[in-house]
Amino acid sequence: MDFELSKEQAMLKKEARNFLEKECPEELVREIEKGDQGYSPQLWRKIAELGWLGIIFPEKYGGLGSNMLDLMFIYEEMGRAMFPSPHLSTVVLSGLTILSAGSEAQKTELLTRISDGDLILALAITEPDAAWGDKALDPEGITVQATAEADDYVINGVKLFVHDALIADKILCVARTQDGKNAAEGITIFLVDADATGMHRNVLKTISGDKQCEVVFKNVRVSKENIIGPLHGGWPHVAKAIQHGAVLLCAQMVGAGEEILRITVDYAKTRVQFDAPIGINQYVQGHCTDVVSDVEGCKYITWQAAWKLSENMPSGYEVAVAKAWTSEAFERACLAAHAVFAGYGYTSKDGVLPMYSRRGKIQQLYLGNSDYWLKKVAQQLDTWTFERPEGKALGFWKTSPDEEIPAWKVWTNEDVLEV
Amino acid sequence: MEFGFTEEQEKLRKEIREFFMNELPEDYEPGFNNMMGEEVQDWWIKFKEKAIKKGYYVPGWPKEYGGSGFTEIEQSILDEEQGRFGVTWPDFLGLHLVGPSLMMFGTEEQKKRWVPPIARGETVCFEAFTEPDAGSDEANIGCRAEEDGNDFVFNGQKLFISGWYEPTWLFTLARTRDIVPKHRGLSLFLLPADLPGISYRPLSTMGGGRQNYVFFDNVRVPKDNLLGELHRGFYHAMQVFEFERRMTGDAAGGKRLLQELVQFCKETTSGGKPLMENPEIRKTLAKLAMEIEVQRLAGWYSAWRFSERERVGPAPYELSNYYAKKYGASHAKAMLDILGLYGQLATGSKWAALAGRIERMWKVTRSLHAGGTFEVIKIVLARRGLGLPRIPGNMMKAIGEAVMKKV
Repeated sequence: MDFELSKEQAMLKKEARNFLEKECPEELVREIEKGDQGYSPQLWRKIAELGWLGIIFPEKYGGLGSNMLDLMFIYEEMGRAMFPSPHLSTVVLSGLTILSAGSEAQKTELLTRISDGDLILALAITEPDAAWGDKALDPEGITVQATAEADDYVINGVKLFVHDALIADKILCVARTQDGKNAAEGITIFLVDADATGMHRNVLKTISGDKQCEVVFKNVRVSKENIIGPLHGGWPHVAKAIQHGAVLLCAQMVGAGEEILRITVDYAKTRVQFDAPIGINQYVQGHCTDVVSDVEGCKYITWQAAWKLSENMPSGYEVAVAKAWTSEAFERACLAAHAVFAGYGYTSKDGVLPMYSRRGKIQQLYLGNSDYWLKKVAQQLDTWTFERPEGKALGFWKTSPDEEIPAWKVWTNEDVLEV
Repeated sequence: MEFGFTEEQEKLRKEIREFFMNELPEDYEPGFNNMMGEEVQDWWIKFKEKAIKKGYYVPGWPKEYGGSGFTEIEQSILDEEQGRFGVTWPDFLGLHLVGPSLMMFGTEEQKKRWVPPIARGETVCFEAFTEPDAGSDEANIGCRAEEDGNDFVFNGQKLFISGWYEPTWLFTLARTRDIVPKHRGLSLFLLPADLPGISYRPLSTMGGGRQNYVFFDNVRVPKDNLLGELHRGFYHAMQVFEFERRMTGDAAGGKRLLQELVQFCKETTSGGKPLMENPEIRKTLAKLAMEIEVQRLAGWYSAWRFSERERVGPAPYELSNYYAKKYGASHAKAMLDILGLYGQLATGSKWAALAGRIERMWKVTRSLHAGGTFEVIKIVLARRGLGLPRIPGNMMKAIGEAVMKKV
C-alpha cells in the first residue's frame, strides 16, 4: 500500500497543471462552450507537441508508452482546468479500441496520426432505445445493423450521445453483424469516414455545452478493410475501452473536486454575514466536510481503479465501484458547494462552480452512471464465495444449526445490577 | 503508488488468517466478546495467551516491551484480519491508548512498571474520561484531584465507562486546578482500579454490552501515578487520540458481514427465487460493497500516511474515522432492511436470520458516539483539516450566559 505519487508522476501532474493554467483559462472554456466545435485546434496542436495525444500508445506508433496512471494524473488536471477537447473520444475510447483490436497496419496508420494530432475520432456505441434502459453500454443495446454486400458492409441505424462526432475525421461505429444467443458475439467495429455518403451528424444541445451528437447511418457503405478487430468479435475491445474511459472521467471529477473544495473552503473563510465569516457556522462547516470526504473518497477509489488497469490486473470490481461512487459523490460535493456559495454559486458569470457542476453531470452520465455501474458491482457479488466449515449455518462462526447457541444471555437491568 | 501488498505481506496475512481460523474457540461469535458471561471469559483469556505467544498482541511495540517488530503496514494487516474476525481484546484500551501514551510521555520508571504487564496481557484498562457534564465538552471535567502531601485526593464521578471485564487500571483525566480556559487545569493519571474509595455501578446498554459509573470518594492516589506534566493532561489526551490512526479493522468487519449476507441472499429463496435475484436487494448490496470499499481505502490511506508520518508529515485530513461513523448506522439499517421482518429477530430466536447478527449490529450501531460523535468528528475535520474558524472559548461562555438569561 502506497498512496504516494512517484517523482515522475508528481512532475507530470505539475507540468500538466502549469500548462493548462496558462493555456486553458476559464474564458477559453466559456468561449469553446459557446462555439460549434467543442475544442481549440491550436490547443490540440500544443498538446500533440507535449505528447498527450500518444501518451498511452507504444513508441512505435508515435506514442510515449506511458501507463494509465500517468494518463490519470493528466486527466485530473484536465478536470480541474475543465479542458474541453476530444481527447477522451480520440485517444482513449477510439485509440485504445484500435490499439487493442486493430491490425498492425491500422495501428501504424491510425495511432501515429492520432499521436501527431492529425486525426480526431469518435466512438459510437449508445442507441436511442437502449439509452432509456440499462443497456446503453451493453452488447444487448447494440442494434444498428451492418449487412454484408459484396466487399462492403452497409450500415443502417441511429447512434446517440456520440461525443465529438461533428469534428471527428472518422467514426468508430459499433454495429451488429450477427444475431445470436450471446449478444456480445456478433458485434463488429467499423471505421467510417466522416464524409461517407448517407451518414448525418447533428449536434445536441446539452447541459454543459459539450458537443454530443446524433449520428444517423442510412445505407452507409463501409469497406471490409475498415473493420477494426475480428468480425463479430469487437465487443470485448470496446468494453475494455469503456472501462478506461470511465476511470478517466472519474479522474476529471477528482481534479475538479479538489478545486471545488479549495474555492468552497476559501469562500467560507472570507464571506462575511452576521459580522463573521460564514465558515464559523457548523452547518456551513458540515457542507465543507461533506465536500472533503466525498472528494477524498473519489480520489482513493479512482486511483485504485487506475492502478489496477495500469497493472493489467482484473479490475472489473474496482472500476465499477469507482465510477459508481464518483458519479454520485461528485454531484453531492457540488451540491454542498452550491449550498455554501448560495447566490454567488448560481449566477453564471460569477465563477466556476456552475461550470463544474454542469460538466460534472455530463461526466456522471457519460460511460455509465452510478446505477449502471452498481449493476456491474452486483454481478461481481454473484461471484463472491463465503468460505465456512461445511454444514455450518451462516451467522455463526463454527456452530452448526443443530448445536446449542453459544453461552451468552440477553441482559436485563436486573442481571446488570447483580454484577 | 501501489494498491496491492508485497509477497511477504500477503504471506503474513495468510498466516494471521489461519491463526484465527484454527485457534478461535469452537463457540466463538464475532463481536460477542464484550458481552459474554464469566464462563466464556476463560477461553477468551486462553486465546489471548496464544496470540501473545504468536506475537500478535502488541506486534508494533518496541522489542523490550514485548513487540514483535511489525511495521505499521503489517500491524494494519493484522488489524484488518482481526476486524474481519471481529476480535477485540478485552484490554483494547490498554493496547491502543494507555500503552502508547506511556511510551510517549511516561517516565522511565513508569514505563518499566506499567508497560510490560499490558504487553503480557495481564491488564484491563478503562478509559475513564467522560462525566455527566463532560461528554463532547471534555474540558468541562469536574472530577477533582487535589494535591495533599505525596498524594492526589480524587473526588467525583465518571459515566459511560466501558467494559464487562473487571478493570485493573483506570486511565483518567481529573481537574488539578481551576483556571480559564478550563482545559488547562486537567491532568492525566493511571491508577489501580481497586484503590479504596473507588466504586462502580453497571449500566446496561441497548447493544447488550456493559458500561459503568465510576465513583471516586476521597481516593488517595500516589503522585507517581500522574502521567505527563501536571495540568497538561488535556493536551496529552489529544496527542494520544492523534496517535491512534490505524483504522483498517472496521471496513474489514463490514466486508466480512457483507460477504456473509451476500451468501445468505444466494441461499435464501422467496417465491422460489433467491433473494439475490431481487433487483432492489442487488442494488442495496452493491451500494454497501461500494461504500465499504471507500471506507477500506480511507482506512488504508490513514494507515499508510501514519506509517510514513516522519517523511511526509501528518495527514491533512483524517477520514477513516469519519467513514466509520458515517456508515456504521446506515449500513446496519440497510442490511437489516434486506432481511425485512426477519431482521428484527434476535440471536437465539426461532426463525432468526443470520443468527440474529444483524439485529445485534443494528443495536450496537445506535451508539457511534464513543470517542466523539459524528458531529464532533466533522467539526474537528472542519477546523483542523480545513482551517475553518471557531467561536473563541471565552466568547462561547458569554454567549451561553446571554442566551440562558433570555431563556
